[in-house]
Amino acid sequence: MVQCPSCARLIKPAITCPGCGAPVGSELDCFAALGLPPRLQIDTVRLEQAYHDLGRRIHPDRFASSPVRLRQASLRATALLTRAYRTLRDPVARGLYTLELNGVKLAENNKNVPPDLAELVFEVQEQLADLNAERSRGGEAARGLNAEVTARRAELQRTMDGLMDELNALFARIDANDTAARDDLYAELKAILSKIAYMRTLIRDVDKELDLTRAA
Amino acid sequence: MSRIFGIDLGTTNSLIALLEGKTPRVIPDPASANALLPSVVALVPDGAVFVGDSAIEMEPRLALKPDSQVSGPGPHRGEAGAVVRSVKRYMGLGGDEVSPEDRRRYAFTDFAGPVVRFRVGERSYTPAQISAEILKALKRRAEAALPDEKVDRVVITVPAYFNDGQRQATKDAGRLAGLEVVRLVNEPTAASLAYGLNQMAEGKVAVYDFGGGTFDVSILNIKGGIFEVLATNGDTHLGGDEIDRAVADWLLEEAPDSVRDRRAWNSARLVAEDAKKRLTQANSVELRLDLEGGRRIARVLTRADLERMASPFVERTLACCGRALEDAMLRASEVDAVVLVGGSTRMPIVRRRVEEFFGRRPLCSLDPDQVVALGAAVQAGVLMGSHGDMLLLDVVPLSLGIETMGGVMERVIHRNTTIPTSAAENFTTAVDNQTHVDIHVLQGERELANDCRSLARFKLGPIEPQPAGLPRIEVTFLIDANGILNVTARDQRTGREHSVDVKPSYGLTDEEIERMLEESIDLGEQDLERRLLITTRNEADQILTALGKQLKEYGELVAADERRRIEETSSQLEAARRGDDRELIGRLVEELNEITTPFAERIMDHAIKIALQKKSIEELS
Repeated sequence: MVQCPSCARLIKPAITCPGCGAPVGSELDCFAALGLPPRLQIDTVRLEQAYHDLGRRIHPDRFASSPVRLRQASLRATALLTRAYRTLRDPVARGLYTLELNGVKLAENNKNVPPDLAELVFEVQEQLADLNAERSRGGEAARGLNAEVTARRAELQRTMDGLMDELNALFARIDANDTAARDDLYAELKAILSKIAYMRTLIRDVDKELDLTRAA
Repeated sequence: MSRIFGIDLGTTNSLIALLEGKTPRVIPDPASANALLPSVVALVPDGAVFVGDSAIEMEPRLALKPDSQVSGPGPHRGEAGAVVRSVKRYMGLGGDEVSPEDRRRYAFTDFAGPVVRFRVGERSYTPAQISAEILKALKRRAEAALPDEKVDRVVITVPAYFNDGQRQATKDAGRLAGLEVVRLVNEPTAASLAYGLNQMAEGKVAVYDFGGGTFDVSILNIKGGIFEVLATNGDTHLGGDEIDRAVADWLLEEAPDSVRDRRAWNSARLVAEDAKKRLTQANSVELRLDLEGGRRIARVLTRADLERMASPFVERTLACCGRALEDAMLRASEVDAVVLVGGSTRMPIVRRRVEEFFGRRPLCSLDPDQVVALGAAVQAGVLMGSHGDMLLLDVVPLSLGIETMGGVMERVIHRNTTIPTSAAENFTTAVDNQTHVDIHVLQGERELANDCRSLARFKLGPIEPQPAGLPRIEVTFLIDANGILNVTARDQRTGREHSVDVKPSYGLTDEEIERMLEESIDLGEQDLERRLLITTRNEADQILTALGKQLKEYGELVAADERRRIEETSSQLEAARRGDDRELIGRLVEELNEITTPFAERIMDHAIKIALQKKSIEELS
């Protein structure tokens, strides 16, 4: 039990007091902080709505002239809310967080390329290196290479879109299963999240190279 | 509660604004009707201080030879004095952080130690103290305009890219001026608030803020009254000052070495600034500079010349824009509106290049010199509850981390994270029976601790002697809505809070500020006493309200004589809070706290018992 900093009622740990609505700022998991059920499939419009509605009520801007205790509760509650929103907004962060919440260990600093992406990654990196070298030299072939990389960028995006569809389907399967049967699904989730993380980095590298070429 | 005012504490000019109904308005100087207060401070050895136009008037007498004796006529004949411009450039910096250019500017500056000091005669002033003089002048201006109102609570704007130390120094300046700084707001965000009131379309907005000393760009998403900053970038030493300096260098190019002294540089800078302004309209201007010994330099500057000199600085601002867009995960073409802020955006080259970069014509319907102050007044309105539907969600501009083994910076909070935000890290001991852990907090984007800015050091402890690796101390780094760091620590085993004595690496300690406050013979002192009284009264209200509720709800948990004592002290406190004796109120608050502690503990026990009972009933059914 905790005490509400405003009405002094004793309440269960919460973001806001169920009695008077004042910020309390207890440590809660990200789903509970936003008042959402712990499901991987999230309606992002509803998520943003919940974040903005709560934010409007508990933000420190609303308590600038309040007693210190209430100001501090507002600060704590808003920090927690912000962290929860950022975590749940991004499907990848949401997936990773769910794994963590369920005690699935993630290998630290896993820099290994997921095996079924290895060939693609190798090809793309070679292309980027060629483009970079040709551009630095001011060579004639830069234009052609640039077109190739641009086509590659579109292909990568399609792969990424496919992975995101796969991820969403997996989210649905996990949500539909009861907790006991989820272990295999979590292993699957871990694998696909690692692929997506890798693809994100790759796409960012490609965009950077294309931007440099455009500027040159 | 008194009204909150909005202040733009600028490098070149400062302003104070207020909200009238729902409309922000800048308060002009009652005498000159000028909205801008030049951020110029003249320091005279007898301790007198002049701000704004009067400081500029003093300049010929004081700054004739800034580092030697004043020879002109006037009340301070024969004394050394100083005129300080652009003091914002020195805010919150350690001496070793000041650029060589800024070191060259003033001879009377002491760069040793964690804070820059300006020496004048026997006295020395920190940048926060000098800024406090500007704030006091703005406060006087508002008090003159609104004789029935107290001016003691303010919102002050800072460059979005200001680091923790620079923000802290700005807050210190407010405190030294006898003001409660209710909130620091980032300048570009403030500008977006001012534009937002004008019913700017919702969507993605880029605010390009090129001022006298700093450059900021912020990318916002505006939706349903929520102003959410997606990313910010900038440079706290990139402004119109840099362009003036380039022009001054060009002007003095052909002058003989003998006259290229500090005084010549500073005069050339002023001539350059004036020429730059005139070239907004004109295509070419003549610059004249009178040097010592009757020498005179005259050169013609065309707009094309100026643009050639300004171009590298403008390109640097666009590089910042590119990085901000990247962090916001947007392309320039996805931005729905671009807003221009700051005096330097009057330059045609700036407008042209910004338009080319974003591919759209920027908005500049509000005066770029006033828009930040207007936005600060809007934020003051939000804080006073008069704009209930608006909410500002800003970000931290620089990553925050700690130094780990091998001098590597480990990020704890990433740049562009929405504030307020917090992150917790666990620490343990490395050797048996270690009783303290030293923690070095850093700010910046580089990988090595040495390349980042040292923010503070603190010692965790005392820790109970235990084998290495056994203690678990959780340290929480919390960045508040001002973008300022607060640290708390707690022993995971015992749940005990650790005291965290944070020593800022640069800037002033609390004790130093207290001492400066004591030393300043000023009306500010009265204000401080008044503020402390208000705070103490608030505490009294808080405890009395809570206690009233508890007595009503849990009345059966108090014994008759205990209740009598509580009620007696309560009514004494009720009476005292209506008076002005702060110490008496404080003492009674403490007393009441003490005698009600057993009662509070009983309430807690009671609640737990009820909860347990309820649980066992649930389990049975």
